[in-house]
Amino acid sequence: MKLDRRFLLRGMFHGSATAMMVPFLDCFLDSKGKALAATGQKVPTRFNTFFFGCGLTKQLWVPKTAGQNYETTVQLKPLEAYKAKLNVFSGLRIPFDDNPNYQHWSGVAAAATGISPTKQGQFDSKTIDQQVADVISRGARYKSVAAAASGNAKESYSSLGGLNTLPPETSPLGLYTRLFGPGFQDPNAPNWKPDPSIMVQQSVLSVVADDRKRAMMHLGASDKARMDQYFTSVREVELQMATQLQRPELTAKVAIPSAPEHDLVVNNALPNIRKNVPLMSKLGAIALATDQTRVFNLSISEPGSQIFIPGDSLGYHQSTHEEPIDPILGYQPRVAQYNVHSMELFAMMLKELDRVQEGDGTLLDHSLVFAYTDQSFAKIHAVDGLPILVAGLASGRMKGGFHVAGDNSTVSRVGLTAMKAMGVSVDSWGANSMETKSPFTELLA
Amino acid sequence: MRTKVILLLASVVACGAWVGAAALEASGSQVVGLRRLTENEYRNSIADILGKQIQIQGTFEPGIRIGGLTAASTAVLSITPAGFESYSKMADSVATQAVSEAHRKRLISCQPKSDKAPDDACASQVLSHYGLQLFRRPLTAEELRSRVSLARTMAKSSGDFYAGLRYGMATLLQSPEFLFRKEIAVPAADKSGYVLDTYSRATRLSYLLWDTTPDAELLKSAESGDLNTPAGLEKQVDRLMASPRLEEGMRAFFTDMLMLETFANVSKDSSFYPKWAGPMAAAAQEETLRSTLDLALRQNGDMRELMVTRKTQINRALASIYGVPFSFNGEWAPHEFGPESGRSGLLTQISMLAMFSHPGRSSPTKRGVAMNEILLCEPTPTPPNNVDFSEVNDTAGPRKTVRERLMAHAADKTCSSCHNAVDPIGLSLEGFDTIGGRRDRENGEMIDVSATLAGKSFHGAEGLGKFLYSSPKFPSCVARKLYSYANGLNSEEVETAAFKGGLDAFQKSGYRLRALVKGLVTDPKFFNASLPEAHAKAE
Repeated sequence: MKLDRRFLLRGMFHGSATAMMVPFLDCFLDSKGKALAATGQKVPTRFNTFFFGCGLTKQLWVPKTAGQNYETTVQLKPLEAYKAKLNVFSGLRIPFDDNPNYQHWSGVAAAATGISPTKQGQFDSKTIDQQVADVISRGARYKSVAAAASGNAKESYSSLGGLNTLPPETSPLGLYTRLFGPGFQDPNAPNWKPDPSIMVQQSVLSVVADDRKRAMMHLGASDKARMDQYFTSVREVELQMATQLQRPELTAKVAIPSAPEHDLVVNNALPNIRKNVPLMSKLGAIALATDQTRVFNLSISEPGSQIFIPGDSLGYHQSTHEEPIDPILGYQPRVAQYNVHSMELFAMMLKELDRVQEGDGTLLDHSLVFAYTDQSFAKIHAVDGLPILVAGLASGRMKGGFHVAGDNSTVSRVGLTAMKAMGVSVDSWGANSMETKSPFTELLA
Repeated sequence: MRTKVILLLASVVACGAWVGAAALEASGSQVVGLRRLTENEYRNSIADILGKQIQIQGTFEPGIRIGGLTAASTAVLSITPAGFESYSKMADSVATQAVSEAHRKRLISCQPKSDKAPDDACASQVLSHYGLQLFRRPLTAEELRSRVSLARTMAKSSGDFYAGLRYGMATLLQSPEFLFRKEIAVPAADKSGYVLDTYSRATRLSYLLWDTTPDAELLKSAESGDLNTPAGLEKQVDRLMASPRLEEGMRAFFTDMLMLETFANVSKDSSFYPKWAGPMAAAAQEETLRSTLDLALRQNGDMRELMVTRKTQINRALASIYGVPFSFNGEWAPHEFGPESGRSGLLTQISMLAMFSHPGRSSPTKRGVAMNEILLCEPTPTPPNNVDFSEVNDTAGPRKTVRERLMAHAADKTCSSCHNAVDPIGLSLEGFDTIGGRRDRENGEMIDVSATLAGKSFHGAEGLGKFLYSSPKFPSCVARKLYSYANGLNSEEVETAAFKGGLDAFQKSGYRLRALVKGLVTDPKFFNASLPEAHAKAE
């Protein structure tokens, strides 16, 4: 099925096209131009993650100088417009402790949890987005939302730990439906009132939750933990419902997009991913702006990215292993091309966040975006020097424009810095050799 | 406590189901398994209990592959908040449909005193009936009481009996007792250990054989305890296996064993392969299932034939890739390739060839790794972290075919131990491109499809097929996977002794699938249960 993106956009954002052109959500501004919600509440700080597979090419992305005013490198070029709101981290170490180097996984887990994983494909704790969500999401409709731009339902790196991966939405239509489909109440509605059907559903959940005691009986330890997770999930949906009975504090005067009539093609072909990422990012941004959620996770591929450029018979991941290093250039040229695409896709997400005006700045100013990957040099499954980029100013708690050139300290310092910037009260982050109490204080305002 | 339960039940539920409920409360019973329903199991269960007319729309949390089977992950995965949210919405939607005017006549067996008011007796009858079916065991008194009470409150506040019933039904549909299959073990009569209780036996059998919830007759056999006797068990097994629904059960098994869900994340490069369009993956998957089930169940054939047969089932789209005319009116038609085709059973079906290839290029290694794991239960360890694969990719150099390039790469000692086991399989399949089309040349060079494995030399896919046909590892692997699938276990951790009953029957019958299935499930050990570690501590 061939779909015209312009057609879809027209359908999808019918009625809000104008609002998207002019700075929108300006209704939050009080007379002094401060970031205030209509009710006088402060705009919350939001958290995003952006996952891209297979890393970058060291020679092409690491800036030559540390600190501010570094010269933009070839692979960071797509992010130039956001340089003042971006920090890049190079040269950080990922010790494995006694665990193996799990290919395409140890780096992911180290960045997202500060813990060297003990199992392939599993995190040993909640991932950073969930740790942040535990603290900042109270009051939003969804604790967090995840989306996978290549359409793979397994492509989510948002986890409650172990095997409890939070499933992603796998298409723009799916994401739209979750956020703005049935159950969504437009915070703009002039006669907003609590939806009585929510209270009915609360009674239903309360009966389900009342079975807990019996359901937990006679279980072995691991099944008990799984059953407990089930009831935790029930509890979370109950909280979600309680939240929906309150009018959102952010009463945005933004028209909510109408539903798309068709979905886009979602697969690993790069041209399709380049269409999906801006759409998913835009839906995520509107969801953040209207407080449907405060945590949005977007992945463009799995670790060991299966993305391919039509005409390249190998694709991204296989190229990282099989493409010879060009003896003159000193790197793998086709891989380098894929790397740049990752950064262009990241820029597309930042663009959607930065175009939303709210209060005294943009949504990006009031967010952090934690962008990370699985390998520093995918060809040999290396993880030391893993590229991590953190965009956004966290409502003024984060400074921007830095290149932090690692001094061989651990990658977990980025996570701790992000947690601090998000206002989470933690003294240390990570575990074992990666446990750290040292955020990058020069970045924290 | 036990007396109280029985009394309560007897007074609230006017049905004879209390025996089972009381048994659940019997001392010494332990939950030994908790398996999250798969999407298919959920859909089939709802269709059987409430009718195929009920629409189910929503997303299901994906499984993960453990030891070659996603079934194993159902025993370790839980339900996340996003997953529960989806189940909760589906529950409400299904319940709403069930009590709607369109369906209530069919589904609601009693007539309330008034449509506009609560009626505890009718609500109780309906909820205990569907409770038994959804939970695959009778509701306890408390489970029923809280639901009848909810239905009453809601009927009163809305002035609608059926609205009340809807919410009562919705609580059943999102309960962990429905969403998970709880396997409950009780001490064996001879005190030798633990065995599954009778409802858990019914459930395990039904999901294995029909991929759905136990039907009324099976539940009755569980309730009476008949299923616990060898004769009663055999009677039910024979009945379930004589039904055409056995195909549904085996379809689910082969989908899992043959990793057909891999297609969900396989993209082909349309600039090289314009014939590969959207519906092709689904068609290729269907071909494999149809031809496998035809051989295994309809023809009652030797399962080893799957490696060598030239018979298959195709539709128009597949015919174009196979390069054969399609001159039938129906959507699907049986097809037999000629001897010159080089095709050999499952090995050369589009599904297997395309799933384990790159977007624009075949991969002997991927194919070899997959065939070893799927057909021989021999998983390949991950390669070392710092392997240099450059040789494999250098198509501009002197090595034109992937064979030459792989050989150069596998000359490295650390690589060769695995590649020697993997590459011969993949290289013999090189006569087929990344979407399964026939080819003789790669980059202008003739492709050499000869291979040597375990000291035996063979040629092409047909040679590989014959090699696998005569390998005892293939039938043993099928038995191992089926046993692990039935029990939600990691197939790599299962002892050979565990599925010996099935494997013996399989061999004795000349490798008929039915013999394997029956041998497994009627093995006296099949319902033995071991308590999870730390059980005592968890109490």
